[in-house]
Amino acid sequence: MPAPLLIAAKDLRQRLRDRSALVIGLVAPLVIAALMSVAFRGVETFHFDLGVVDADGGPVAAQLVRALHAPELSPVITVRAQDSEFRAAAAVRSRTLQAAIVIPPGFSASMTGARPEPITTLASVNNALAASITSSIVSTFTAQLDADRLSVATAVAAGAPGGRVAALAGEAAGLRIPIQLVQRPVGSRELKPVSYYSPAMALFFLLFLITFTSRSFFVERAEGMIERMRAAPIRPSEILAGKALSVLVFGTASMGVLALVTTVAFGAYWGSPAAVAVVCLAMVVSVVCLTALVIGLARTQRQAEGIASAVVFGLALLGGNFVLVSAEPDLLRRLALLTPNGWALRAFTDLATRGGGLHTVAVPVLAILAFSAVAGVAAVSLSRRAVSA
Amino acid sequence: MRAALAVTGASLRRVGRDRRALFFLVVLPIVVIVIVGATVRGFSTVRVGVVDLGAGRAGRSLTVAMQRAGNLDVRRYPSLDAATTAVARGEVSTAVVLPRGMSSAIRSGRAVTVAVMADRANSTQQAAAAAVASVVAEEGALVQAASFSSSQGLGSYEQDLARATTLQRRAAQVGVVTRIVDSNAQTLPQGFGYSAPTMLVLFVFLNAVASGAVIVETRRMGLYERMAAAPVRQSAIVVGETFAYFTVALGQALLIVLVGAMVFGVSWGDPLAASVLVVLWALVAAGAGVLSGTLFRTPEQAGAIGPPVGIVLGMLGGCMWPLSIVSGFMRQVGHLTPQAWAVDGWTDLMSRNGTLVSVGPELAVLAGFAAGLILLSTVRLRRVLA
Repeated sequence: MPAPLLIAAKDLRQRLRDRSALVIGLVAPLVIAALMSVAFRGVETFHFDLGVVDADGGPVAAQLVRALHAPELSPVITVRAQDSEFRAAAAVRSRTLQAAIVIPPGFSASMTGARPEPITTLASVNNALAASITSSIVSTFTAQLDADRLSVATAVAAGAPGGRVAALAGEAAGLRIPIQLVQRPVGSRELKPVSYYSPAMALFFLLFLITFTSRSFFVERAEGMIERMRAAPIRPSEILAGKALSVLVFGTASMGVLALVTTVAFGAYWGSPAAVAVVCLAMVVSVVCLTALVIGLARTQRQAEGIASAVVFGLALLGGNFVLVSAEPDLLRRLALLTPNGWALRAFTDLATRGGGLHTVAVPVLAILAFSAVAGVAAVSLSRRAVSA
Repeated sequence: MRAALAVTGASLRRVGRDRRALFFLVVLPIVVIVIVGATVRGFSTVRVGVVDLGAGRAGRSLTVAMQRAGNLDVRRYPSLDAATTAVARGEVSTAVVLPRGMSSAIRSGRAVTVAVMADRANSTQQAAAAAVASVVAEEGALVQAASFSSSQGLGSYEQDLARATTLQRRAAQVGVVTRIVDSNAQTLPQGFGYSAPTMLVLFVFLNAVASGAVIVETRRMGLYERMAAAPVRQSAIVVGETFAYFTVALGQALLIVLVGAMVFGVSWGDPLAASVLVVLWALVAAGAGVLSGTLFRTPEQAGAIGPPVGIVLGMLGGCMWPLSIVSGFMRQVGHLTPQAWAVDGWTDLMSRNGTLVSVGPELAVLAGFAAGLILLSTVRLRRVLA
């Protein structure tokens, strides 16, 4: 068997015997992905129960209640009729309802007067988003009422004779706000938290291989293992190839198992298997290059651990492995694209939301490989020094 | 006592010399606080993209109206394609497409349709579309009034638009009044007020557990045997080690509190109650740290297993997301961890102006955890020393 294969096989055996590697490579990312999928189960879709108290019973109130049952609102709210403001408030407090609307007595009648009755929304301090969506829904309805009143008022201000007000109001009541919203489908799949954090955690723990491998290299060097290898007719490049191969196999296996288990057990959606495989391979290659770079930069085991930790956590933080990168401010989203894992997460996000295959991940994969090439070239000269030291 | 302090001093000097430990103690928590704090801002705002395909003045005016709306966070995109990609990736919850020729269509009295990107089955996008709808309707009301008035031959469209704008500000409208029915806030404030306390709880504990590696290494090097050869009592070593872990944990917690307050403007609540909470949390971390030092066999194990254990407990305990979003069962499971009680304590102090009395139950539970962990770690460490 060629020397690099022998060295890789030995490293892999050691890794499997060492339980800490299994924890990092499999157990920890799986437990974390499982926890996330359980935690976010209830909040993957935004939907809430909205109470409605119709204390008016008039025609305008009936229009509002009909508007709340519009088909485009059904994915967001379920309308629940309530007897009184008191009961609705109690239900919001106890979280049976997330928000409520109270249409006051005399609401319909007040529409023709100078002082229209306001609509009250009941909200909880713990659900600011439901409160704001409820206000928006009611405001969209009241905007048409206001538009009609405003149309008459503007005409009067422009000089319409007082005697025509009633006629103008009649005309205005038939108007429709001339800017209308229409929904255009995005045609993408909703990004579930588990579909984002499964690859994010798999990548985070993949980066840990940098710490492990660079550390084990210096331990072996301290134990005289590298010197013994060099005493045999093996070139330094073959030792490095063996080390790289073991990282490649362990990293690929870890990513593969995680993709499979999170898909089957937790309902994560990774997208096209071929494209996922290519991104994973590119990422493993960049981990190999980064490991070589750390080995090249460090002179002692302690230094290697320090540099590797800074690299691993720096990349994970910038790349978006802990925080949904889409939700970050612009600057942080741009910084994420300076990291290979940031590009990998973008590829996984695009695969999970917009689908597609290899063409979807082409740019991210090229970016990851470019990053790897830079790290690799820097590592090669430095690593020769590390092996021959 | 002097022997115990000497043990503490020796352990602290080792931590001080280790640059890697300083990275985890100081740099990492603060960077995470910045990133999470900058991101967790928008629980009540909806991120909306805008693409202007040449809508003219009416489009600009609608964009300004959306920017002024308190619940929308508007981002502009140069093309339809860029906006669609941003919606798909979740960078914005929806995007509004302002059509070409919108201004001239409105001026000539024609109705215009503005597209908002939302899939039927995607509730986040639907909720965002509902938020956009109210702003569009309010802007549309002005256009309706101006068109109506000018169609009556009462002034030009521009004049009537100016009149309508003034009237909209002054005239009584159908108001929407929001009444908050409870005051029992269950979540931390947003921004750094969220990230600083949760990351304090996460990192102080995580760091203590991971640095159990120091005790493992001390055991391996045979330092405890050498100490035993000197006239040092076993209890002095146990007290000294525990005090060293406590000092590091307390130092890290105080650093986060200070940086949070001075750099990020975090208000930590009642000073007395906050101090007690910080001290108790450092004791919990010290107990867990010494315990991990006696449980793991190699420094690699402590370094590899410690952080994931800390992260998982942090997730269960509400450091990574508020426990108010998880099921009742998961909330109960979460409260088996000390983290959940600590985060509850901070929520009471920071969101509900809690006091030593109101946060008493959380402090009592944390004191219980601290006592239990320190007792357990003492027993284990004594066994290791023997």
